[in-house]
Amino acid sequence: MVPTLIGITLVTFVIVQLAPGDPVTLAMGMQGDSLSATRGTATQQIVLEQRKLLGLDKPLWMRYPMWLGKLAMLDFGRSFKDQRPVKDILAERLPITIQIELLSVFLAYVISIPLGVHSAVRAGSVSERITTVILFILYSLPSFWVAYILLYFLAGGGYWHIFPIGGASAPEAASYGAGKWLVDRLWHLALPVLVLTYGSFAGLSRFMRTGMMDVLRQDYIRTARAKGLSERTVIFKHAMRNSIIPIVTILSGLLPGLIGGAVITETIFNVRGMGQLGYNAVLARDYPVIMAVAVLSAVLTLVGILLSDILYAVVDPRIKYD
Amino acid sequence: MRKAAILSLILAFVALGCGRSGHAPESGQNPAGGGAPVESTATVQSSAPIADANGLIEAPKPEGPLPEHLVGANPKPNPNETPVDGGTIVERMASEPETLNPLTATDAYAGMVLGLVMDSLASRNPDTLDWEPYLAESWDISQDHLSYVFHLRKGVKWHDGAPFNADDVLYSYQKLMDSSVSAAPLRNYYQDLQGVEKIDDYTVKFSWKKQYFMSLEMSAGFVILPKHVFDNGENFNTHSAGRHPIGTGMYKFANWRSNDQIVLEQNEDYFGRKPHIKRIIYKLIPDDNNAILQASSGALDEMNVTQEQWVTDLMKPPFPEKFNKYFYYNQYYNYIGWNELRPFFQDKTVRRAMTMLVDREGILKNILHDLGVVVTGPFYVFSDAYDRNIKPWPYDPKEARRLLDEAGWIDHDGDGIRDKVVDGKTVRFSFTLMIPAGRSVVEQIATLVQEEMRKSGIEVNLQKLEWAVFIQRINERSFDAIIVGWAMGVEQDPYQIWHSSMIGSGGSNAIGFSNPEADKLIEEARPEFDRAKRTEIYHKFHAFLHEEQPYTFMFCTANLVIVDKRVHNVIVHRLGLDIRDWFIPIELQSVRGQ
Repeated sequence: MVPTLIGITLVTFVIVQLAPGDPVTLAMGMQGDSLSATRGTATQQIVLEQRKLLGLDKPLWMRYPMWLGKLAMLDFGRSFKDQRPVKDILAERLPITIQIELLSVFLAYVISIPLGVHSAVRAGSVSERITTVILFILYSLPSFWVAYILLYFLAGGGYWHIFPIGGASAPEAASYGAGKWLVDRLWHLALPVLVLTYGSFAGLSRFMRTGMMDVLRQDYIRTARAKGLSERTVIFKHAMRNSIIPIVTILSGLLPGLIGGAVITETIFNVRGMGQLGYNAVLARDYPVIMAVAVLSAVLTLVGILLSDILYAVVDPRIKYD
Repeated sequence: MRKAAILSLILAFVALGCGRSGHAPESGQNPAGGGAPVESTATVQSSAPIADANGLIEAPKPEGPLPEHLVGANPKPNPNETPVDGGTIVERMASEPETLNPLTATDAYAGMVLGLVMDSLASRNPDTLDWEPYLAESWDISQDHLSYVFHLRKGVKWHDGAPFNADDVLYSYQKLMDSSVSAAPLRNYYQDLQGVEKIDDYTVKFSWKKQYFMSLEMSAGFVILPKHVFDNGENFNTHSAGRHPIGTGMYKFANWRSNDQIVLEQNEDYFGRKPHIKRIIYKLIPDDNNAILQASSGALDEMNVTQEQWVTDLMKPPFPEKFNKYFYYNQYYNYIGWNELRPFFQDKTVRRAMTMLVDREGILKNILHDLGVVVTGPFYVFSDAYDRNIKPWPYDPKEARRLLDEAGWIDHDGDGIRDKVVDGKTVRFSFTLMIPAGRSVVEQIATLVQEEMRKSGIEVNLQKLEWAVFIQRINERSFDAIIVGWAMGVEQDPYQIWHSSMIGSGGSNAIGFSNPEADKLIEEARPEFDRAKRTEIYHKFHAFLHEEQPYTFMFCTANLVIVDKRVHNVIVHRLGLDIRDWFIPIELQSVRGQ
């Protein structure tokens, strides 16, 4: 795993720093070109000093090992933008992102699995077709549009004021007790979570349906029915457990997504999460922050792959690792 | 504060929603402008404008009926009310400052907050634009205009109680010039500052290497740091005071909740005119639509709106009943810059033809909803340096085509695109128009330009670039044409943008405009301390650029602000809104709690 991780970070590091635009030029605006400028001018001097300050004066092949050395001690460095430790910035952004994403994944699974089972068992029926059509309509609705529609109709556009217009908590939430805080947080996150979730019903339930249909054709299902088990037991105990493997595979892929955040949804609902952080860091060429986000995603991707391998064995006793 | 950052390239059409808000008169790059709403399709009338001593001219009075969306804008406050202290206002902040360290901060919102928390030696009066004493009580200027002696105010206290004196001024200068301080963009403007000396505890002297009419502005607008706070061995760039600024200003910094809000409280010991509003909360809301919803639900007292919001949302309830709307001009213009190193744009006849192909009146009306004016030159449109007798080149495609033919750009091969033999090679009139990504108004304008040019046999390829790359390409001078804008000061030295020496590094003459005659005018104006003479030179310069058309100058856009009606006495000054005027009647103060 470690060599893979180093490989990923090396490639990211090089690509990010070789991309056009750099933080010093950006700060100087149209006053000066930091690299191809006439040597020796006062501006050139000022720009060079600024690059030195950010550690950009050294060649790339020296910068990467230095960065890696610090990373080994879990030091992500300081943001170029506000000079704060990247660790602190992540600590602000991660909790809210993880909360939103966990809720959304949980909701997606809780709703999609029964829907998938339903459409497998009742394949071809009218109710299955209606469900499928609705899911595909949801799938094709752009999330920014749905987000604004929800905001306008449910949160203060002159219609219903059921949900707050934005933010992650009420302004005075710090003084709430744990229970009240939790309710307030869930109330604030309801709309963003909904927006992040509805699109995944179609895909997930289709996976579940396909897996389930395969299993329902197996001999042991016929056997189970033949020996007089109730349909309920057949479906939920024998069929479902066996058809859940593809879903588990997808689950592992979701792990890096947990910290990825969602730029557009976060912006519309005024929630400050990892999506905005990463996006703005890229726009500002804030290399330390970009790298920190990349490392976290890489680690979680690798952990996800490992986890799904382990989960296979748990879900399906036929799979064993020696 | 921060008047020194005279020029800053800002995202084209900033006023359109990336929210460069500002009412603090101290923050230098902030909008200024005339009072009354203008029927802005009218290009500025030249009917004997009377400039005051500082050369700002009232925006012209509207002719004919106002557009519906301007009716009721800039309401006159009731002069008979007695202001009362107290109350809280919540303002929208579209992006969070990176830091509140006055030297290393570069963004607009840091400028806005610090403008209220920190002071400079002097500051412009928001109406007369005269320099008014702040941390300096008075100043003497030497005969040769090279040294400026400031007599500091005694008894001023920093927000933490420590006394202010000359050491703070000296320290601020040292830090600005310290190459380990991350203040490169600001430092670049102070290359001609020879030094700052302490004469005694309450007297300092700024010495300049060259005679320059901006020297007073740059000395007086110099930001003053608290030495006793910063000079404690901590690294300056990462100093904790950057998250918790201590100043001498009318508001004290109270707290900053990252990713949420910044709170300021009234400074009761302020030496100058005190504001009435007790507390200001800057609430972070990056999204324009979310912000307007928050305003409609009563969560915000003040915000900048986009042109689109001004003509749609603000016309619908609850806005007309709940908010007053204000309208004033930014010291800003946007333009299409033609790179003169490209074969097509070397000839001024061609550049004039390009301008005549851009329907500026139409764009102003249909895309900008008349919320701006068409400009013809490089100065703030309502300053005296700007010559209002110069009329914009008209939109005239027929004449433009004639000019192009005259310049030898004719479609010889019948492919629909004009061409010309330049240096023995046939060049097709096909160029790339580079615009910053993510600004829908700029995209609309660029598309219109593209279509118009196509009809006249010119091929335009649009290239949208992310800001970091956009800036880099401009600095490398690798573009054909760009759409972007300039923010300026009340007074403006064209040197940095137009002098031929600024084509190279350190300059902003990205389009490669080089003309000995223009250089001469620019150089003549710099050591000219007589305003009338400088104005004369600048009028010549303006006329010169009008002939040359190195840019197709486009618009000075208006700053659009809404303020909750519970806030009284909101006055539109020439430099915009000033929070010190505002107050909230006692019975309305409880809305935001205490």
